[in-house]
Amino acid sequence: MAREEYEMKVGFAADQKTVKIKIPDGDLKPWDLDTKFETVGTDVDRIDGIAKATGTAKYTFDVNLPGMLQGVMLRSNIPSGRVKKIDFEAASKMPGVRAIVPLKDPAEGRRNRVRWVGDPIAAVAADRREQALDAIEKIVVEYETSQAVIDMQDGEDAPKLEGGEITSPWPDKGNERMEEALGECKHTRSGTWFAEVQTHSALESHGHVCSWDDDKGTLEVWASTQATFGARFGLARALNIGGDKVTIHAEYVGGGFGAKFSPGTEGVACALLTREAKAPVKLMLDRFEEHTCAGNRPSALMQIRAGIDADNTITAWDYRCYGGPGYRGRGGRTTFPRSYLEDAHVRATQKDIATNTDAGRAMRAPGWPQGYFAGEGMIDALAEAAGIDPLEFRLHNESEKLREAEWRMGAEKFDWAKRWQPYGERDYGKRYLKGAGMASAMWGQMGHRGRGSPNAVKVRIHADGTVESRNGAQDIGTGMKTVLAMLTAEELQIPVGTIKVTMGDTNDPAGPASGGSTTTPSLAPAARLAAGMAKNELRTLVAEHLRVEEDKVTVENGRWGVPGGKTLLFEEACKLIGPQPIEKVGERTSNYKGYKNNVCGCQFAEVEVDTRTGFVRVTEMLGIQDCGTVIAKKLAESQVLGAMIGALSYTLHEQRIMDPKSGRMLNGDLMMYKIAGAADMPKLTAHMFPVANGKNSVGAAGLGEPPSVAGPAAIANAVANAIGAPVRNIPITPDQVLAAIDSKKGGK
Amino acid sequence: MTNKPPSRPEFSRRAFLKGASAVAAGSAVGHEIAAATQPESGATVFGTELHTIELTVNGKPKQVKVETRTTLLDALREGADLTGTKKVCDRGACGGCTVMLDGETVNSCMTLAFDAVGSKITTIEGLGTPDNLHPMQKAFVECDALQCGFCTPGMIVSATACVQKRGKPSLDQIKADMSGNICRCGTYTRVFEAIQKVGGQKVEGR
Repeated sequence: MAREEYEMKVGFAADQKTVKIKIPDGDLKPWDLDTKFETVGTDVDRIDGIAKATGTAKYTFDVNLPGMLQGVMLRSNIPSGRVKKIDFEAASKMPGVRAIVPLKDPAEGRRNRVRWVGDPIAAVAADRREQALDAIEKIVVEYETSQAVIDMQDGEDAPKLEGGEITSPWPDKGNERMEEALGECKHTRSGTWFAEVQTHSALESHGHVCSWDDDKGTLEVWASTQATFGARFGLARALNIGGDKVTIHAEYVGGGFGAKFSPGTEGVACALLTREAKAPVKLMLDRFEEHTCAGNRPSALMQIRAGIDADNTITAWDYRCYGGPGYRGRGGRTTFPRSYLEDAHVRATQKDIATNTDAGRAMRAPGWPQGYFAGEGMIDALAEAAGIDPLEFRLHNESEKLREAEWRMGAEKFDWAKRWQPYGERDYGKRYLKGAGMASAMWGQMGHRGRGSPNAVKVRIHADGTVESRNGAQDIGTGMKTVLAMLTAEELQIPVGTIKVTMGDTNDPAGPASGGSTTTPSLAPAARLAAGMAKNELRTLVAEHLRVEEDKVTVENGRWGVPGGKTLLFEEACKLIGPQPIEKVGERTSNYKGYKNNVCGCQFAEVEVDTRTGFVRVTEMLGIQDCGTVIAKKLAESQVLGAMIGALSYTLHEQRIMDPKSGRMLNGDLMMYKIAGAADMPKLTAHMFPVANGKNSVGAAGLGEPPSVAGPAAIANAVANAIGAPVRNIPITPDQVLAAIDSKKGGK
Repeated sequence: MTNKPPSRPEFSRRAFLKGASAVAAGSAVGHEIAAATQPESGATVFGTELHTIELTVNGKPKQVKVETRTTLLDALREGADLTGTKKVCDRGACGGCTVMLDGETVNSCMTLAFDAVGSKITTIEGLGTPDNLHPMQKAFVECDALQCGFCTPGMIVSATACVQKRGKPSLDQIKADMSGNICRCGTYTRVFEAIQKVGGQKVEGR
C-alpha cells in the first residue's frame, strides 16, 4: 500500500512532540495539536437523548412481537453438586407452556455439574410470564450435593489472615532480591487491603428476544448486549447454524459495564426456546438473576510492602493479590499503579481462589479499581512515612508528564492545599471530621483495526440532503452515536442535527465489542474516513456541475465550489446526487506511533466523617481526565461524572452478602444491595484534558474505564486523612470507621 | 407515595402469590370487579385467567387483558405496549417504573393493574412526545441527564412531580424527592441540574 509521509504535532501544550508517520493510501491526515475544530470538542446534545427522554427508545426489554412467548429460567438452589434427574412431566402440562429446554444433562459428567446457586437447569417458554413462572415451579430436580466453598477464605490455597492482615509467607521466587531491595529502604510500610464483590447491576437486565424462522432457518434477535457481533457468533454456534443466518439488533442498550459481552446461557436458552416453540420468545433476567447469575467485579485481597529511599523515591514494591472470581476460578487479577515505580524493584504475585459463587466478569476497568485502591493507599502510607504532602510525594515519584500536568491542574482546581489535613492527631471530640484524598488513573487502549472484517463505518449522503452514518456495533449509553454524528458533521461541515446515526444492527459494517474503552477509538477514525470519502465523491459531483477541476473545489464555511467563483450550499450540492445515494465505507487502519499509548487522569475527593456514627459522606469529587481528542465534550464529562458516582457507590455502599451455608446471595435486590442514590451525591466536577495523541486520524480514546480507576482510592485516602487512620476494606462501612477511630484513641 | 382511595379494592400482589387463602379473598373482591368489567371467561373464582379491564392512560381509555396478580407495570408495558415505563427491579426499590396515579408518583411494579382502574395514569409517553417535549424532557436532554437512558423515564416522571409539588425546589429537596430513583450510569448530578433548570416554571402533567 502506498504510504504518504506526514509530520504532525502531538501531545499537549506543556509537552509537545513532532512525530513522522506514514499514512496508508486513502486515509485522512490525522488531526493534531494545530487542528482547529468546528464541531469536535463542543457541547452537543446527545443525539438519541430525545428518544430516551420520551420513552420512545425501544430497548430489547421493550420489544413486543405478535405471538411472542415469555421465557423464564429454572436455576439451581444448591451451590455445589450434580443434577441426578430432571422431570419435566408436570411442567409440560401446565397452562400456556409451549416449550421447555433442559440446560443440564444428568447423563453427562460435564453437563450435570452445579457450580453455584443460580446455575441454569432449564428454561420454559409460555404464553405469559406468569405461566412460565408457575411452570418452572413444577420441574422436579434431584440433586446430589457436594461441599461448597462460599467464602474466598475457605477456598483452596486461601492465605492465612490475622487481624485483617495476611500472614502467609511471601513467595520464594525472587524473594531474596525483594528482601534486599526492602532492606535498603529508609522507610518501609506494609498493609493488607480487601475489596468486596460488586455486581454490575445494569438497569436493563441481560436478555434477548429471539425469533426463529423455521422456513428460512434464520434467527432474528434483539439483544441487550455490548457486543452485537459477539452475540451473533455465540448464538449461531449454539444453534449450529451459519453466522449469516443470525441477525442481531441492539439499537438501545440499558447499560452493560462489562457484563454483557456474551449472549450467555440465557441467550442460548432463548434461541433454543424459539426454535422449539416456533414462536418469538422474550427472556429477560429478573433482578435476583441479574445480581447472582450475570457476573460481577471479583473481590480482591491484596497485600503490599514497599519502601522509599532517603530521597523519598520509591525503591521497593512487593505486591500480591488473591482474587475471588467465583466458580470459574479465573479473572480476579488486579492492576496497581506503576507510574510511581520507575526506580523501584517491583514484584507482583497473583492467585485466584475459586468459590461456588457466580463467576466474575469484566467490569469497568477490570481489576484496576481494586489494585489502585490498595496501591494508592500504599502511596499515601509512604508519603506519610516520608512526612511530606501526598501531592508533593506523588509529583516526586510520577513518571508521566501528562499526569504531572493533571495533578497540578487538579490540585489547583480542588484547592488541595487547603483541604488536605496535615499529619498528626485528630480531635475525635469533634462530631465531624473532614479530609481529602487523591489518586491516579491509567488505561492503555487506543482502539484497534478489528479482526476478520475491519471495524468500519458506512456513510450515505442522499439527494435530499439526508446524511446517514452506520455501524453494526452498539451504543450502550456511552454516547457513541453522538460521536459518529459529530465526526461526520465535522468532516462535511454540516450541523450535527442533520445526521442520522444507526448502530446496533449486524447487517451494518463491523464494529468492536464495547469493552476496554475501545469503541470510540476503534470506530472514530473509520467514521471520519467514511465521511471524508463521501465528501470527496460529492466534491466530484460539484466539480462536474461547475465544470471545474476537482481539486479546485473546496468546502469553506459550508459552501462547496471554487472560492471567489460559484459555490453551492450542501443541500444544493446534494441535489446533484441521483436516486442512488453516495455510499462510502471507511475502514479503520492500524494505529500510528503517536504521542503515547495510554491515557492518564486523576481524581480528588473530600469526605466528612461523623465520628459518632462512623458514617462517611463524600462532600466533593473532582476528576481530571484526558482521552485524546475530546469529541463530544458534554457527554465525555457525563461519563467521567458517572464513573465518579460509580466509585462512590462501590467504595461506601455496595456489598454482596452471601449466606455461607446456602450459598445464596442475601441481598440480591436493589433494596438491600445499596447503590448510591440522589441523597448520597457530593458536588462533582469533571474537567477534560485534551491531548493530541496522533494514534490515528481522529486521535480519540475511550472513556469507559479511565475515569473508573481512581475514585475508590481517592475516597479511601480521604477517609484516612479525615480520621487519621486508614480503613482498608471496601465498602468502607461505619463500623469499620468507628473501629479505626477507636484503635487510634486506644493508641493514645 | 400514593394514598389509595378507600373505595378501591384492597389486595396485594404478595397475598396472591401465596396461595389458597389469598385466592379466596381475591374471589370475594373479584366479584365486584368481574361485575364491573365483565371478564370474558365469566369465572367466579379468580385464579390465573385473564380479565379485560379498562385503564385511563395519558387521558385515553386503554383496554388490557390481565390476571388479577398482574402489576400496573406489566399491564402498561405488555397490555398497552407503553414501554417507556421500565421494568428494572420489579420490587419497588429503584423507581424505574415510576408513573403518576391521579397526580401522585407510584412505583407501577408495586401497584396492581386492578388497583389502577378508575385512576388517571400518566406515563412518560403522556408527558411529552419527540415533537412536543415536556420542559423536563427538554431539560434532561440539554443537561445530558441521561446516559444509557433506562432510568430516564422514571427519573423524568419523578422530577416532574418534584417541580409540580415544590415549585422551585432547593437542591436538598431535589435530592430527597429523587431518592426513589436509581441510576447506574451515574447521571444524578446532571439530573439535579435539569430539575433546577425547570424549577420555578409551571409544568403540566396530564
